[in-house]
Amino acid sequence: MKKFDYYQPETLRDAFALMEKFNGRARYVAGGTDLIVRIKKKDVQPDALISLRNIEELKGIRHTRGGVSLGSMTRIRDMERDTTIARDYPALKQAAAVLANPQIRNVATVGGNFCNAAPCADCAPPLLIMETTLALEGPGGKRDIPAEEFFKGPGETCLQPFEILKAINVPNPKSKTPNPKSITMTFLKTGRVAQDLAIASAAALVVTEGKICRKCRLAAGSVAPVPMRLKRAEKLVEGQEITPELLEHVAKAVEDEISPITDIRSTEAYRRIVTGVMIRRAIEA
Amino acid sequence: MKEIIHFTLNGQQVSAEIESHKMLIQMLRDIFQLTGTKYGCGMGECGACTVLIDGLSVNSCMYPAFEVRGKSVTTIEGLLGEGNQFHPIQESFVRHGGVQCGFCTPGMIMSAKAMLDENPSPTDAEIRRGISGNLCRCTGYVQIIDSIRESVADYKDRV
Repeated sequence: MKKFDYYQPETLRDAFALMEKFNGRARYVAGGTDLIVRIKKKDVQPDALISLRNIEELKGIRHTRGGVSLGSMTRIRDMERDTTIARDYPALKQAAAVLANPQIRNVATVGGNFCNAAPCADCAPPLLIMETTLALEGPGGKRDIPAEEFFKGPGETCLQPFEILKAINVPNPKSKTPNPKSITMTFLKTGRVAQDLAIASAAALVVTEGKICRKCRLAAGSVAPVPMRLKRAEKLVEGQEITPELLEHVAKAVEDEISPITDIRSTEAYRRIVTGVMIRRAIEA
Repeated sequence: MKEIIHFTLNGQQVSAEIESHKMLIQMLRDIFQLTGTKYGCGMGECGACTVLIDGLSVNSCMYPAFEVRGKSVTTIEGLLGEGNQFHPIQESFVRHGGVQCGFCTPGMIMSAKAMLDENPSPTDAEIRRGISGNLCRCTGYVQIIDSIRESVADYKDRV
């Protein structure tokens, strides 16, 4: 493994200054559970790591009446244990609870899971169904973007050089719904054994009024170059009564909308079928 | 880049000079000679290197040594009581055949401790989930789960 320097700035300004000093030869590191493996495998060989662990403003889960703000350095474990997340954002809790294994969840962060931009990022599908926005900050200033616009390809994000993901802001889906019982949110994941990366994952948010679905948000992971919303399938569900026939139709539509590949974890054909099935089950849940 | 790191190791204040690219496991094994913590895959898959940092289980093979500054680290050696007496989980592993080749054992026991500290009465499903980050290459999982389950009664008495 190549040697690297290790810096632990306490402010964003110091982090930007360090990054500028190394001019592209340094990497920000959050929990490091992915980046350090990639350094060991020599996939990346930075001269320095700039740890974000000591920057206070990136930490913490803040609940407000309208939603929740997750500091990017919030550990997966903290989301898994947060009782308000379990109550109001159940799909996010479900995803946090099955991400890798306890040792990884104790270290890995939600911001790292996003910035890694793996197609299989477990935190992505639940956040994509909830109109999440991301707060970014760089030496040049701040900006907010919808979560959907963040991912550009496997391992690629819209982050500018030096820019940092500060917080993940999620409006509470229940606060906008007159009857909180009419809303369901579910995350499902298929893997070979407990700690594996997802073969495929799926998340659904469904708001019903009587028998009719008023709002449907669907997302899937490990089935395209980026975690994706399934907008065509959503349109099939909205305004309709959710029947077994409709769900069969939706599952088929999902198979067509995604673009999975065959790799060491699974095949393209299986991923298409299992994602359709998981979306159907997530809507039914 | 080298710095002196101060932290708590198995209840004692310690310090060590270490290079910035070294991981916690290298500091534990090479500087403090605490070789109970094993180096397995080096990638966070096998859990042989599991230690506790501020009470939480962590893979020490991927945890930069610099990050333990000011924190409290517990290794398998830190579980021994007065007069080198075994911790109840260790005792239970001995009694119920939880040790085959022994390579995964320190990591298994540290994961079990982290889980039991949080949830002193786990179901079998919770035990399995608690050690889902630890692999046993002898595949002796049944005895390992027995050992953890059987340690629960003793554990509650002691804690």
